[in-house]
Amino acid sequence: MAIIERPTETSALAGGGGLAVTPSSSYGNFRRPVQTTGWKSWAFTVDHKKIGIMYGVVAMVFFFVGGLEALLIRLQLAQADGTILSADKYNQMFTMHATTMVFLFVMPMAAAFANYMMPLQIGARDVAFPRLNALSLWLFVFGGIFINTSWILGGAADGGWFMYAPNSSVPFSPTNGVDFWVLGLLITGVASQVGAINLIVTALNMRAPGMKLMRMPIFTWMALVVQFLLLFAIPVITVALFLLMFQRNFGATFFSVEAGADPLLWQHLFWLFGHPEVYILVLPAFGIISEVLPTFSRKPLFGYPFVVFSGAAIGFVGFGVWAHHMFAAGLGPISVAVFSVATMAIAVPTGVKIINWTLTMWGGKLWFTTAMLFAIGLIVQFTIGGLSGVTHAVAPSDTQQTDTYYIVAHFHYVIFGGAVLGLFAGIYYWWPKVFGKMLNENWGRANFWFMIIGMNMTFGPMHILGLQGQPRRMYIWTENRAGEGFFDLAFWNLVSSIGAFVLGFGALLFLVNVWVSRKNPPAPADPWDARSLEWITSSPPKEYNFARIPTVHTLDEFFHRKYEDVGDADQHDYKQVATGEEVIQLEEKLADKHIHLPSPSYWPLVLAFSFPVLAYGVIYSTLLIIAGAAIAVLALFGWALEPPTADDSEFDPPAPDGDQPSKELAVSV
Amino acid sequence: MSDTTITESHDAEAIPPGYDDGEDHIGLEHHTSTGLSNTKLAMWLFLGSECLLFGGLISTYMLYRNRQSDQLGPDQLWDIPFTSATSFVLLMSSLTMVMSVSAAKRKDERGTKLWLTVTALLGGLFLAGQVYEFTTFYREGLGYTTSLFSSSFYTLTGFHGVHVAVGIVMLLSLVAMLVRGKLVGDKAETVEMIGLYWHFVDVVWIVIFTLVYLIPA
Amino acid sequence: MSRNARIGLALGVGALAAGCAENAPQDTFQPAGPNAQQIQDLQVPVFILAGIVGVIVLTFVAIIIVKFRDKGQAIPDQAHGKPTLEIVLTIIPALILIGVAIPTVGTIMALNDTEGTECVVNVTGQQWWWEIDYPVQDGCGSGITEPIVTSGQMVIPVGTEVLVRGTSRDVIHSWWIPRLNGKRDMVPGRVQTNKLEADEPGIYFGQCTEFCGLSHANMRMEVIAMTPDDFEAWKAGQIKPYEAPAAGTLAAAGEQTFIAQCSRCHQVNGLEDADGAPIVSRPDLSVYSGAAPNLSWLMTRNTFAGAAFDLLTPECYADVWYAPSEVVGEKYLEGVTPDCLNSVQLREWLRNAPAMKPMYTDPTKLEETDGLVRGMPNLALSEDQIDELVAYLLERK
Repeated sequence: MAIIERPTETSALAGGGGLAVTPSSSYGNFRRPVQTTGWKSWAFTVDHKKIGIMYGVVAMVFFFVGGLEALLIRLQLAQADGTILSADKYNQMFTMHATTMVFLFVMPMAAAFANYMMPLQIGARDVAFPRLNALSLWLFVFGGIFINTSWILGGAADGGWFMYAPNSSVPFSPTNGVDFWVLGLLITGVASQVGAINLIVTALNMRAPGMKLMRMPIFTWMALVVQFLLLFAIPVITVALFLLMFQRNFGATFFSVEAGADPLLWQHLFWLFGHPEVYILVLPAFGIISEVLPTFSRKPLFGYPFVVFSGAAIGFVGFGVWAHHMFAAGLGPISVAVFSVATMAIAVPTGVKIINWTLTMWGGKLWFTTAMLFAIGLIVQFTIGGLSGVTHAVAPSDTQQTDTYYIVAHFHYVIFGGAVLGLFAGIYYWWPKVFGKMLNENWGRANFWFMIIGMNMTFGPMHILGLQGQPRRMYIWTENRAGEGFFDLAFWNLVSSIGAFVLGFGALLFLVNVWVSRKNPPAPADPWDARSLEWITSSPPKEYNFARIPTVHTLDEFFHRKYEDVGDADQHDYKQVATGEEVIQLEEKLADKHIHLPSPSYWPLVLAFSFPVLAYGVIYSTLLIIAGAAIAVLALFGWALEPPTADDSEFDPPAPDGDQPSKELAVSV
Repeated sequence: MSDTTITESHDAEAIPPGYDDGEDHIGLEHHTSTGLSNTKLAMWLFLGSECLLFGGLISTYMLYRNRQSDQLGPDQLWDIPFTSATSFVLLMSSLTMVMSVSAAKRKDERGTKLWLTVTALLGGLFLAGQVYEFTTFYREGLGYTTSLFSSSFYTLTGFHGVHVAVGIVMLLSLVAMLVRGKLVGDKAETVEMIGLYWHFVDVVWIVIFTLVYLIPA
Repeated sequence: MSRNARIGLALGVGALAAGCAENAPQDTFQPAGPNAQQIQDLQVPVFILAGIVGVIVLTFVAIIIVKFRDKGQAIPDQAHGKPTLEIVLTIIPALILIGVAIPTVGTIMALNDTEGTECVVNVTGQQWWWEIDYPVQDGCGSGITEPIVTSGQMVIPVGTEVLVRGTSRDVIHSWWIPRLNGKRDMVPGRVQTNKLEADEPGIYFGQCTEFCGLSHANMRMEVIAMTPDDFEAWKAGQIKPYEAPAAGTLAAAGEQTFIAQCSRCHQVNGLEDADGAPIVSRPDLSVYSGAAPNLSWLMTRNTFAGAAFDLLTPECYADVWYAPSEVVGEKYLEGVTPDCLNSVQLREWLRNAPAMKPMYTDPTKLEETDGLVRGMPNLALSEDQIDELVAYLLERK
């Protein structure tokens, strides 16, 4: 059977107006790329799996960049009156550490999973808009590189990752660092926004037959909620960033107090984005462990509807608590009281999830793979972080806690202990599926334990440091505010710094594991005896994902194809009736005869490239603005005029036996 | 919108007729789980996010509307009759947009192109009115950086104007592609999708016109 | 709870308490006044509650990991959930949180109530120091008859509800004296309030807690609470007339050096020029935020440069700062004597301030602020000039 049949002239535009696109009518002289191997097959790909992998790899690189920045911070704070970093460098370091970790690591890593897994989990062959998907990726990559070039172009941003006004305006931040930050985040913001639209349409519109919304795998649900959060939160920070950009580059006075501006405008706009942002960071990890825990407990997720609704509730209520970041800012007692109570309210759906996860494991048959260890780690660490969060919700207490290391402890426990541990669980869980190899379990365990121990050594003491009065964002701390006794603040600062290196070492062990595992034998298609649709594929999946789009009859469809309940009415007895491989083979026997896949394209990369050109132009030269705009317009038109699937003539003629994949065009550009 | 009957999920056993026919479809122009086409759903989502973009800009304006300098404020500057006229022009362009969508659905390609062009022209006329208005304000002393009121006003209306301009470019590009026979996919749907965008831009203007021009500071 | 569990909990709490610094000067759990006490009364139960919930959840997880690990059992019952259990487990935390919310709202309102104000002190933050001034009023003990302007250290009478009214001249700062109250941001263009009241005399530490740029870490302050009598004495010392140094002394030469080098920014009340006209400092001509610390009574304080450096030698520091509350006021009122002066720090500052505290004072890099500095520049003073100035400043009390 022809698995990939190149589109014929009439079917090229499936369902279209019968209008064939011939080479002579394609845009200009650009022939679209069609390579299936080599670097070009990655640079111009629109395949969600390749895009997901690239997101993950680049995000991992930024993880280590941000980690290095953190180690420098902790080196500086290991002793009183440290001299490793000057005040100026330190301020840049903590700003970029946070910006990198939030925007260039956690968000794109979650996007990596959403991109790779969502179509597979819903039984689709790709996302709704594959070229838009590629655009998101390249905007992220170029945006991340752009923002980091500030280090060598006069200094990075130094106003803290939430960049409060008026400190962010030119008199107080004279270098271009803040401009790089603003423009870089505008670029990555477009990436997220466009990705959100893409993934929402995918999840809502492209589900396999029989997959009602309440049969969607839970990771897809959480990813969907996250995309809605992005959709509505990104525009708000976009407004804030534009206002700041206009202030810094065109003389507007939005945040100039002399002109009558209100500095709190920035805070409101930023946190209206900023609070949903933290749920954007953590919900994908919640979704991941909601898959991992059932698989390795051999039981379904406890209370799937509750987990779905609490995720949606968190998303919704998350837009109503932003001013809890401003309890000391002078909002007035009524606003403070309202936001304080609302923040307590949001603890409820979050707590529900912890209950659901623990009850999933209760009564199960627990298999402690590395992925499972990370998932359990998340439950433990996030509980701690969440409880410190509840103490912040008590506004009067928060006026003691805010801007101290206690807050730093809280958010590292929920972001590192929550989002990052969840992402690592996902990496270990889905690695065999994505790369076709198992990761070594022993190295994995070492990776896990060093990270957990390191994490608690680093961020645990910060609770004490904060509650005993050490403020955050201080490039030095002094002996005479460190208290007395063996366990004074000097001691805990040192422990925290040592812990950071343990944590860093643990993170490196992940890279060691990847390296050591690269020559492992091929992984089976279903190594974990898993439950959901993405496992009904080979490891790695074929380019077209599913031989046949599966029909879904229930939640945990894959599990139920392997196991049947042969017990009586209320006695359950699950017998295995098929292995994973057998289920996959059955699907392949019934494979679709014609599979149309979207074709690669230059335009997303070209359009993405125009953004940093424009951005450099705003900082340095109007000519570059014009050049960037011209490239953008060119790319937009090229894109609009290009059909989603390449015309027949773009490919080499099929090999005589019809079974070979298309070869690269020998003369392609 | 005619085809918003969302086909809620099928019964577990029944597979929609004609779907599992061995043919695979990526999802465009064919069966979708909600019944809405991908592009239309995408446009609705995009417009939803745009509500927040303009919400942020409008909030900034409302905060700063009274922080003027040199007594240069709405009372001194606004020419309500003129702006009402340009607003009416934009409103009419939404009507012509509807005509265009209707023509596209009837497969009346000539009508589609005609009404699209008229819509673009009316949009252009609106923009010309904005340009005239702003150059007048500028000559009267209201520059971009003159006061918080001026910065917020120009930023808000500027963003709107850019949206209108992008809309005009899309309309004219659509006409050009129709003329050269290069439009891929369901033409009526593409026209309708751009129509959604255009109506949104119009609705935003109605909000801006009301809050900025009509309601006294 | 079983005996073992109780022992465990006690040990846990004990370990936690033992793992803390003693006498951490900015400890948020050591209230020394009614406002901080109100916060304490609210936060201690909440922290304990959070701790208990944490222990319960973590214990439960530990039990599960041990009890349900794969020991070869059959595929377990594929339970999908128990809605009743879920709902109950959702309602319980909700009820607990309602129980927390009610006293929270009460405390928010109470802390915001400024009806009982007995003394108003203005605070103005700027990069990177605090200006503190006492406006004319009937409160603050026997009243303030002429404005008092100082910086870095705020002196208040004990048992008096002091209302800090604060703002900023440039970016957002935050006023925080942990043992007396939570923090309040000092926002340019707005005046925000923070109540302070101390039960006992003592020195209470604070730091700026809103990132405000380069030397945010070097922006500190203290509140000194003293008995009503001591406070009256302090006030008197702040408004007494200017005493010029005796002619021919090093301090007299210092006065001239001060007029030439320092007085354009730093105000000393009563200083007169050669013609007998009072010298009014114009920091707004040199400094971006428009102000510099008033040095009239510098030696009645014991920190300088945004309370970042000490005027006292380490021995004298220990003597004053850790004095018991019966005598702390008396010791503070002694001010800085020549024996106790930390001339190393003061001289280093006068020699090259930007080297000691990162600031923006390089003339070649002041384009964005139209040549105005943010902080004290390096005046390239000679050692002799520094000798003179130190002698002069020592008499400022």
